[in-house]
Amino acid sequence: MNATRSFDRDGERALDELAAGDSAVILSLDCEPAIARRLMELGLLPGTAIRLIRRAPLGDPIEITVRGVHLSLRRSEACQIHVTQG
Amino acid sequence: MSRKAEPAARRIAILGNPNAGKSTLFNALTGLRQKVGNYPGVTVEKKIGMCDLPSGQRAEVIDLPGSYSLQPASPDEMIVRDVLLGLQEDTPPPDLIVFVVDATNLDRHLYLALQVIELGRPLLLALNMMDAAAAQGLRIDARALELQLGVPVVGISAAKGQGLDMLRALMDRDVEPSGRHFREWPLHLQRVLSRLEERLPSRAGLPDRARRDLAVALLLDHGEDEALARHVPPGALADAHMLARRLDEFSPGWRSGDVQGRYEAITVLLEAAVVTPGARRDTRREGIDRVLTHRVWGPVIFVVLMGAVFQSVFAWAQPVMNLIDFLVRWFGNIIGHAMPVGPLRSLIVDGVIAGVGTTLTFVPQIAILFTFLCILEDSGYMARAAFIMDRVMGQVGLSGRSFIPLLSSFACAIPGIMATRSIDNRRDRLTTIMIAPFMSCSARLPVYALLIGAFVPNRWVGFVTLPGITLFSMYFLGIVAAIVVAWVLKRSILAGGRPLYVMELPPYRMPAWRSVFSTVRERSLLFLRNAGTVILAISVVLWFLASYPKGSDAVRALEAQRQTAVLAGDATNVGEIDRRIAGAGLEHSYAGQVGRFIEPAIAPLGFDWRIGIGLVTSIAAREVMVSTMATVFNLDNAASDVQPLRQSLREATDSRTGKKAYTPLTGLSLMVFYVLACQCMSTLAVVRRETNSWRWPVFMLVMMNAMAWLASFAVYQGGRAMGFGS
Repeated sequence: MNATRSFDRDGERALDELAAGDSAVILSLDCEPAIARRLMELGLLPGTAIRLIRRAPLGDPIEITVRGVHLSLRRSEACQIHVTQG
Repeated sequence: MSRKAEPAARRIAILGNPNAGKSTLFNALTGLRQKVGNYPGVTVEKKIGMCDLPSGQRAEVIDLPGSYSLQPASPDEMIVRDVLLGLQEDTPPPDLIVFVVDATNLDRHLYLALQVIELGRPLLLALNMMDAAAAQGLRIDARALELQLGVPVVGISAAKGQGLDMLRALMDRDVEPSGRHFREWPLHLQRVLSRLEERLPSRAGLPDRARRDLAVALLLDHGEDEALARHVPPGALADAHMLARRLDEFSPGWRSGDVQGRYEAITVLLEAAVVTPGARRDTRREGIDRVLTHRVWGPVIFVVLMGAVFQSVFAWAQPVMNLIDFLVRWFGNIIGHAMPVGPLRSLIVDGVIAGVGTTLTFVPQIAILFTFLCILEDSGYMARAAFIMDRVMGQVGLSGRSFIPLLSSFACAIPGIMATRSIDNRRDRLTTIMIAPFMSCSARLPVYALLIGAFVPNRWVGFVTLPGITLFSMYFLGIVAAIVVAWVLKRSILAGGRPLYVMELPPYRMPAWRSVFSTVRERSLLFLRNAGTVILAISVVLWFLASYPKGSDAVRALEAQRQTAVLAGDATNVGEIDRRIAGAGLEHSYAGQVGRFIEPAIAPLGFDWRIGIGLVTSIAAREVMVSTMATVFNLDNAASDVQPLRQSLREATDSRTGKKAYTPLTGLSLMVFYVLACQCMSTLAVVRRETNSWRWPVFMLVMMNAMAWLASFAVYQGGRAMGFGS
């Protein structure tokens, strides 16, 4: 898992590395196919704008907003979603 | 049901995403003419109501569970898929689908709408919350949407009752299916689907293309879908899995190609039909969230709110429960006086009426808890509570959704287990149900209080008292046991692929009081109807065990003494003899015999046959232990003062050895037993209801009682080995 989140050129990073309030655009979903499909059905498609609203008081999960909907997502999934701020 | 001659009512299904306002619309259309039950084999609520259409025709309206996709991720979504694909035997596909979307959130809500439109069934789209959309400056061109989607579109506000006449008029008409498709499968996938399709039988009452939809469902299945496996010829599912694996290898991303296609279609659609006032921010929501999910204030508010809920279930339910108890006794007395003394009177008063009383006393707790839960859920706070607690519950492999059912179980496991329905992951829900009874419920408190008062010296240790530490340890032991069991279950029989914990955090809304009221009413009635009957049956069996056989020699000798005392006018003596008759009667009853019979099994735990009787009668409810022990020790079992009973326990002797029967170590061992043992028939009845099988309650009974025996054995024998046995 760690190997996929090491790059940080051109503002590319994992979703859970965003700071609270940061906006970005989804690049790719690196999860299991079934989980990727579900996340995409909920609106997390590559090319979609996404914003990290806040982290839960204990640091996990995170609250994101995408297509006008607020979702709670665990960091174990968020770290497999690549976004760009560039 | 009474008017069989009429043509079958039009069957209309209400469908949509969670939080689209489906239930509000359902209530507005059907009023209180609703029937709530379960889909067979699962605990997904099935709500059906009647609605009058303008033509005078009646429609049967079914409120399908909220769903995000036709590729199901929860039991709720599976039901929706099964109904629409005609796989659900008790619920044939509807004649018309009313698809409800949140007009302020068309982008996401239209996804499932497109999926369902593609099924090619008669459908009309209801744009709900049009008032809120207008307030936000959204301008939606319903006519443009109609043209693009090929289905009738109507704007409504279910909460304010706006547009419902128009909707009813449309529900009366015959609606042509759209036949529109918003994405195409690539050619190689179409070939795969055709191959699968050929293996499926066509089903009556469904368009021929339903086979294609079923083939899609098969191909996208990831091996956990029991309903699918039941409905396809053997081998077809295995073939589908094999094809899917091959596609994964050669055509990565194939699983979500159609998702992308639909969202692209939605973007085009919304550009044509919706004018947005530009980026807007929901400042009210942001303000509330900033406080409720704040790093410090979030948890503080959560703890205070949960404390208040917990305290109310504890405190407010008690007077009502006492009142019910009083009324049941009063009613029992009236019946008792009206009937001749005999076995029938005893059966009705001590068996049936007492059993009904046991069932009814749970209703206040259920009603109060569900009133709070429903308000928390409908206002949107429940999702925030789960957001705050998710990390903590994640440690034992559960999610934030499990926290509140477990907390409720400290008051009573019955409403706690009923509250697990909000957990959409099946394995998490079963795990939560299985560990809920380890939380020390309010019925254990009288037992702890009796035993602590009898055996734990009231001494200060530092700045806490020994009884205080003991009581705290009992609660703590239950929590530790729950954590251990959850950990083991999630790694053994309830292990499974890593689930996706994603949860919508809905906007804050004012709860609709009518829906709160109807939820509370439904939950209470369901409990009475289903669990209540089991509880009543077991109560009658327990009554029989404690009352028969009659007329043992010991009782007859005492009755002769009583006769003499009555003739002598010695009232105090009569009372004393009456108590001894009750004690002797219980001792020689089947329950007493069971107590003696199980003595060899419980002797290693430090318990004798008298405690054995208490364990048997505890099946009715744990606190019954206290009154049973009072009867066994010839004390007045209705007395509120437990001091004499505490003294009797301390001074009880073993008739064979003449030594003290119980030591403080016995008391500790017995308390540990009460923490861990599954004794409560009502819990088992409700687990049976909520899991829809006897497998889980039987497993719970065996597991918990084995744990209780082993733990008490370890405490008693370990304590003796360390010299605490006297």
